[in-house]
Amino acid sequence: MTTPVLDARIESFTFHGETAPAVHGIGLAVQAGTLTSVLGGAGSGKSTLGRLLAGWLRSDGQLRGRLSLSGDGIPNGAQRLDFAGTEDDPRISPAAWSRQVGYVPQDAAAMLSRIRSTVAEELAFGLENRGMDRDNMHRRVADVAAQTGLSPLLDRDPGSLSGGELRRLAIACCVILDPVVLMLDDPLSSLDAEGAELILDLITGLVSKGTAVVHLGQVAGRLFSQATHCLVLDGGSVTAQGMPAEVLLSGGLAESGVVVSSEELHHGHYGPEAAAPEPAYGSPAGANRVSPGARTEASSLSFRNVTYSLPIAQGGQRAVLTEVDLDVGPGQIVAITGPNGAGKSTLLRHVNGLLHPDRGEVLVGGAPIRGKSTGAIAADVGLLFQHPRDQLFERTLLREVGFGLDRLFGAEAEVRAIQALEDVGLANVASAHPHDLPASGQRLLALATVLARQPAVIALDEPTVGLDRHGIARLQTALDTVTLRGAAVLVVTHDLAYARTVSQRVLRLRGGRLHEL
Amino acid sequence: MLSRLNPLTTLAACGAAATFTVAASNWPVSVAVAVAALGAGVGAGVLRRVLAASAVILLPLWFSLLVLHGLFFPEGRTVLAGWGPARITVEGLAFALEMGTRTTGCVLVLLLFSFVVNVPDLVATMTTRRIPPQFGYVLASTLTLAPAITEQLARIRQAQEARGLVLGGSLVQRLAAARLQMVPLVLALIQDAAERAHALDARGFNSPGPHSTYREVADTRGQRTFRRAVLGLAAAAVILRLSASWFGVPVLPSPLAGNE
Repeated sequence: MTTPVLDARIESFTFHGETAPAVHGIGLAVQAGTLTSVLGGAGSGKSTLGRLLAGWLRSDGQLRGRLSLSGDGIPNGAQRLDFAGTEDDPRISPAAWSRQVGYVPQDAAAMLSRIRSTVAEELAFGLENRGMDRDNMHRRVADVAAQTGLSPLLDRDPGSLSGGELRRLAIACCVILDPVVLMLDDPLSSLDAEGAELILDLITGLVSKGTAVVHLGQVAGRLFSQATHCLVLDGGSVTAQGMPAEVLLSGGLAESGVVVSSEELHHGHYGPEAAAPEPAYGSPAGANRVSPGARTEASSLSFRNVTYSLPIAQGGQRAVLTEVDLDVGPGQIVAITGPNGAGKSTLLRHVNGLLHPDRGEVLVGGAPIRGKSTGAIAADVGLLFQHPRDQLFERTLLREVGFGLDRLFGAEAEVRAIQALEDVGLANVASAHPHDLPASGQRLLALATVLARQPAVIALDEPTVGLDRHGIARLQTALDTVTLRGAAVLVVTHDLAYARTVSQRVLRLRGGRLHEL
Repeated sequence: MLSRLNPLTTLAACGAAATFTVAASNWPVSVAVAVAALGAGVGAGVLRRVLAASAVILLPLWFSLLVLHGLFFPEGRTVLAGWGPARITVEGLAFALEMGTRTTGCVLVLLLFSFVVNVPDLVATMTTRRIPPQFGYVLASTLTLAPAITEQLARIRQAQEARGLVLGGSLVQRLAAARLQMVPLVLALIQDAAERAHALDARGFNSPGPHSTYREVADTRGQRTFRRAVLGLAAAAVILRLSASWFGVPVLPSPLAGNE
């Protein structure tokens, strides 16, 4: 058996200020040219493990165990670091460590330098720091951009990219440095079908060239089925491991929050629709609700001929929405899907007046919202932002959900906030800081801030991204409850299977126009 | 035009203008520099931003100068009006004018620089000249701090508005809304800085050894000559100023000297 390029034995890692370890008793040895899949639900410790192996948590807690690297490019052929949880422990140099171990975090935006003005320069940032000459850099940037579908975006400002485009950029920023071990946390989340295929092809190519790829995720999909070794984490430790077929039958996987994609595993075909299981989505759409499709007499939400353009370089305009017509009735769920960067989130931001159409009209409860402030529209409309970090700003979960509720419910505000936290399963950590929650928890918290207000219209931007099996179940329960109450729900998602399962009407946004699917 | 120049040329011109203003210590010169900066701001299309930012700095400054030196200038002899210990004197007003115009000239020039310079070009140029990238990063972060804060504040405001915060109304309501945004803003900026530190570390930003640049920044012989000339002039002005101070001779006669 060959020597693993990364061999980690984590006895325990405990964050400062905590008593219980975040991860413990984990052994992970990855060989060159293999794909390893580490699965776990929210709070299982998989992202902590990823950050730990990437050297991102060097000063955030106490580590006991060892990390070993070996292979070409490692000084003296091998490097072993032993940690006893004392001040004398070796210090990991992130710069040196990242030459061997690349890591793309779950939050793709956290990967960016934010001091580069174009996608091309952001891609080149790591190469600049290694002193690569300009001609080679240009060639390398062009190659990796082509592999990740970023070539048409090279001159764009990274801050203007959509969620899926940003994820591809983050992965490309890591791949361009050619690490021996590449760790990808939830690499396919928020990617459209085309983007997901590109990344899957990229991973396959890297593995065949000898890179050890470690996939960290909460969906047992195609990456899981192609893996040579799998681990399931729950509660910070390994509850199952082995080949995919073995892990699939294990109790550890069944008890975890991992989403098992049955379609994916049976057919070996990946589409983003495989990113979540059909059974987890709960009740079939349409029960108890008004008939979908055509304009209803009393639509809760309507778009009338909405047209919107974004300014681009040289004073030009890029049409994002063109003469969009849409109706969502009380108790109805309408889903909008489409490729990354199609303008789905832009459309959703028109619902509560964060964006205003250049032409046309948005109506809530039959009344135009033009001229009303977003704060006033919020009495009837709740918006789940695409990125929870854009929605969360308070110091505790309870304060977060309670913000603004006093204006709606007066003395009952706190009770409503606690109830909303209970509905998403976060009441037991009500005094925690929102940033301390895992990604799944942050999205559920953001959802709670919307649900607590009991709006007549709910707009959800990629609600399933980052959610594990338990989170998806809670989302479904919440949707069932609000639609029974008569709320109109507009969901934007890249996940076609989810869109079809959850809604009565699915529309595709392409070229600025909505098309019936 | 200004933003198309090599950033070192813009930096040299603005730095020299500020240095010259301080060295001259003469209010007509300061006013001339301020007017030139505003004119350049018009040409670069950034006049409104320069005026808005400078108002935040200069209005409180002018107010404090006039109160402190206009009313309470111990060396003041020519009294124009008096209310007990507070006296408006010609000397006090002259001092406030001198200080105010000098600071105004420098502030306008430096703000103009911050609004017209192409920050990525500046950082790339510094890296090419083997200046430690951390220095360039600090400079870039400083120059982009205001937009970064504005962006973060907008994000928080949108999140709060989406949950029913109605902005506008009376001054009291606006202040109450601003209070709700300040703590989240500071916490978000701290969180952002911590995240960025991880990303920069992991991407080798603190690696020893030479760094290179993807961006190629144009330079010309004419600009290099111009930079040498203006920096030489600024150095000469400083030397002249120091020499004059040592020998007690004014560099330029003050238009207010007759009143002293």
